[in-house]
Amino acid sequence: MTTSVFPTCQLLHTCRPRPHLLHRTPGSTTNNRRQLTLAVTATTRAMEAERKNDGALKKGIAEFYDESSEMWEDIWGDHMHHGFYDPDSTVSVSDHRAAQIRMIDEALRFAGLSEDPTKGPKSVVDVGCGIGGSSRYLARKYEAKCQGITLSPVQAQRANALAAAQGLADKASFQVADALEQPFPDGQFDLVWSMESGEHMPDKAKFVNELVRVAAPGATIIIVTWCHRDLAPSEEALQPWEKELLNKICKSYYLPAWCSTVDYVKLLESLSLQDIKTADWSPYVAPFWPAVIRSALTWKDMTSLLRSGLKSIKGALAMPLMIQGFKKDLIKFAIITCQKPE
Amino acid sequence: MRLLTHNMLSSNIKGVANGFPLGIEVEKVIEKQVELSADFLRNLFPKIEWKALVDAARTMGYAELPEEVDSSMLDSNEFLTKFHHALLELHLEEGALVCPETGRRFPVTKGIPNMLLHEDEV
Repeated sequence: MTTSVFPTCQLLHTCRPRPHLLHRTPGSTTNNRRQLTLAVTATTRAMEAERKNDGALKKGIAEFYDESSEMWEDIWGDHMHHGFYDPDSTVSVSDHRAAQIRMIDEALRFAGLSEDPTKGPKSVVDVGCGIGGSSRYLARKYEAKCQGITLSPVQAQRANALAAAQGLADKASFQVADALEQPFPDGQFDLVWSMESGEHMPDKAKFVNELVRVAAPGATIIIVTWCHRDLAPSEEALQPWEKELLNKICKSYYLPAWCSTVDYVKLLESLSLQDIKTADWSPYVAPFWPAVIRSALTWKDMTSLLRSGLKSIKGALAMPLMIQGFKKDLIKFAIITCQKPE
Repeated sequence: MRLLTHNMLSSNIKGVANGFPLGIEVEKVIEKQVELSADFLRNLFPKIEWKALVDAARTMGYAELPEEVDSSMLDSNEFLTKFHHALLELHLEEGALVCPETGRRFPVTKGIPNMLLHEDEV
């Protein structure tokens, strides 16, 4: 994972081409044609570098989860997302599994999905499925067919094994695939589910585009993800200290540049999605990180961590950074849902 | 990988107009019994691309599926058993899925298809 993340992502107003690429000192005068040539060269080189970065990022993500999946499952069970808590509560790790289920149910409710399983979706795609916790839960809840995709072969293997062990092998299946190039034909799924995977996607526009492409007419799309705070109208970018904090977190968790909730909304609007709703669920997940840190300090979890390897250790050490980010209102835990028109 | 999954996968390589259905290269097929659920099969039936399923099953060594179907056949236990067997009980453990237009192979290892594209296919 390189230190200079080229945020040449398209619609994200937090990102600008790096000045040094344009080979000129601020304030110097250049004629229009030279500026254009330089800009084109810069964009091409940036795109090339971005593709190489994306390749490295994907590899990093796959390896990170290959390495840490077993430890994670040991400690947290088969869901790899945040739990939904009552704000200001002190929680212990034993509350966590129930809270993770609650997170799924609250997300479904927020999106307006019926509580009645017979009226629910029949085919679901779980984008960034981890070891398949959400898929298996949704398969059970709605008697639906769920397909999960992940970059990590270890996770796909484990997900399929768990499905088989739980008698869900016919309803939930998992493969190694890229969320930016989903291996499904258009309009396959009634429910498109992305639970805490959006933050890994280097190209948010492409990510959202694929979510919409594989959604059937009338389908619901649910995205739960980490974003940074929405920028004020007068702001062009985050403050330098904010960017620095996010950068440190990026390196530990194999994350590309962050975007805001509003960025997602704009992408969905541009693709004509309807009934777009968002909420800031940061207060409901805030109790999670202190609980994680406390649990990581126990002997069992410490040895588990040490056994998993360097990438996982780096991830663990970044936990206080997440807490800082939440406390300073920089990091938001966001839910964004919408409907594809019939 | 079951044929149910195969029926939902398509090749997303840049420039490919129709990436479905993927061809199957068989190296190892295993059969795993699983309980038949008539309701599940009836719910799934409309979503299945039937020809792709028949062809895929034949490649995996199962030729019992009828070429032509209609929904009235869902009342026949005999049909449901065959449908169930082809869709859910045949597993491609090792082999590959093949893009119908470019011939590109997506390997299947330990039952998991790897659909990741290379940098130049994106």
